Amino acid sequence: MTTEKNPVFELRNISKSYGSVQALSDVSFKAYAGEVIGLVGDNGAGKSSLIKTISGVHNADSGQLFVDGIERHWKSPHDSMEAGIETLYQDSGLAPDLTIGSNIFLGREKKRKGILGKLGFVDQKAMEQEALAELQKVGITVPASKRTVTQLSGGQRQAVAIGRAVLWAKHVIILDEPTNHLGARQSQEVLKVIEAAKEQGLCVLFISHTLPHVLQVTDRIIVLRLGRIVRDSPTSEYTVESLLGTITGLAEAQK
Amino acid sequence: MSTTTPTEPALEATQQSKASSWLRNLVSNQQFILLIVLALLITFFAERNSLFFRTQEFGNLISDFCGLALLAVAETYVISSGGIDLSVGSTVAFSGICGAYTVQYFMEHHMNQTGVLLLGTLACALTGGFVGSVNAFLITKVKLVPFVATLVTLSSGAGLALVFAKGGQEVGLDPGAVTFSAEGLGMFAWISIIVIVITLVLGLVLHNTRYGRYNFAIGSNDFAARAAGINVKRHVASVYVLSGVLAGLTGMFFYIKGGGGAATTGIGEELNAIAAVVIGGASLQGGVGRMSGTVLGAMILTVVVDGLIFINVAPTWNQVVVAAFIALAATLQTIRPQSRS
Repeated sequence: MTTEKNPVFELRNISKSYGSVQALSDVSFKAYAGEVIGLVGDNGAGKSSLIKTISGVHNADSGQLFVDGIERHWKSPHDSMEAGIETLYQDSGLAPDLTIGSNIFLGREKKRKGILGKLGFVDQKAMEQEALAELQKVGITVPASKRTVTQLSGGQRQAVAIGRAVLWAKHVIILDEPTNHLGARQSQEVLKVIEAAKEQGLCVLFISHTLPHVLQVTDRIIVLRLGRIVRDSPTSEYTVESLLGTITGLAEAQK
Repeated sequence: MSTTTPTEPALEATQQSKASSWLRNLVSNQQFILLIVLALLITFFAERNSLFFRTQEFGNLISDFCGLALLAVAETYVISSGGIDLSVGSTVAFSGICGAYTVQYFMEHHMNQTGVLLLGTLACALTGGFVGSVNAFLITKVKLVPFVATLVTLSSGAGLALVFAKGGQEVGLDPGAVTFSAEGLGMFAWISIIVIVITLVLGLVLHNTRYGRYNFAIGSNDFAARAAGINVKRHVASVYVLSGVLAGLTGMFFYIKGGGGAATTGIGEELNAIAAVVIGGASLQGGVGRMSGTVLGAMILTVVVDGLIFINVAPTWNQVVVAAFIALAATLQTIRPQSRS
């Protein structure tokens, strides 16, 4: 039934190689608004290369990328952000010495009104207040946003980083291992934010090694192996065992 | 009645912890500690030698402070962006020499004093900006680490200054400049006022504008900054150019004070500038720093160096005392309960 709608995001025949290493071959898939897609695969399967292609860190050698039906080419990660794609990289999404508010608005600072704003002066107070309010909307409670990120716990940091992605994304958010290094309870909070993002109509690309988390929160799972998509099915068709077998290739070997 | 009593001690306890956390914040506030240190130092020197408290000496202090201030401001930007600029000291010498020759050339062509000094200032700023651009190129294009890149320009700048000055001579003498350096408002010379204004403006920019915000973001986590769409290379390049220009202006400051350019002016001063920034509470890893701390750091260094002369300690001890202050400030940072990780 979702296939009736237009995909919010689509990859067609994306290939990418680093020297003699073929990182991605002919990767194609469509993604829809309000859909949570799990992207899984072993180390070196091409997950990172794929994320970097989508977010504009580098370009594919060949293939096409569509956002909301329009073909796009990224010159920098900034381009993909402008087009409504937010990416949360593994462990490195925030500037730890800056306040929560400054991090939420990093690269999109609110300027002061009038001449000061024209001179580049930022409205710190408004940013702190708005950051706190917006984070609360997606179910994230953090202490006063005047705190720097170094003063937060690991779970809170991750929540702020995801919150930031959810706030700014218009179409897609890409989450690279968001539950890594987190305790069980903190991981569940992160998964809740993913569900909030889905309810807001965002498409979520969820990359994780923690298969139970993937099975819990996604609608569909794409399995990558050696740079190719080996399976793309609704989450209900997988179990932890079958998923693991597809990732390692053992499932096919047994056939 | 008895059910309400337990809340009172609890309330008291939170008030107490509020007061104690306020106290802890104050003690962990580097600027507050620096202010106390500065006051203690001035009291100490004035008590040992009452001449230290004269307006004339304060004038000297301000002037000496201003010789260091712009370099420390430059270093605050560079260090909080995660880099280091070792070349500012020799850029002072090199640009001072270029400024001196410019002044000499236009004096020989009978330009008036103001015009001559303005063109000299422009020459100094351009020379500094050029050195800064070389640093920016080496760091963002050749991808040398800032320490090595600016070590290259430190050596070449000092070397070029010697070559241009034909050895140890003073060049481009202008007695009019010395006269101008003494003019001003009370104990503030005009050149010092200019330096103070630049310092204030750049302090405001660092802590209140988007440019300053990017500076800290890049120093804190350059990957996150890039992911947030910040043009990290362009920003880093601009910071080194700014640093060079500020060093160039300091070259002109010393030229006006001394009335001539010498190849030894400012040599080694980068270490005092970095010391001021570290004493001021900045992290050499980047991301953390305050202009007010840097200014206090520079003031403390100036007071110590000048004060030691007043209490008849041989100037040869300067560096040892400065070193002690750096060690103290760095230790203080490790005690600060700032990071949880």
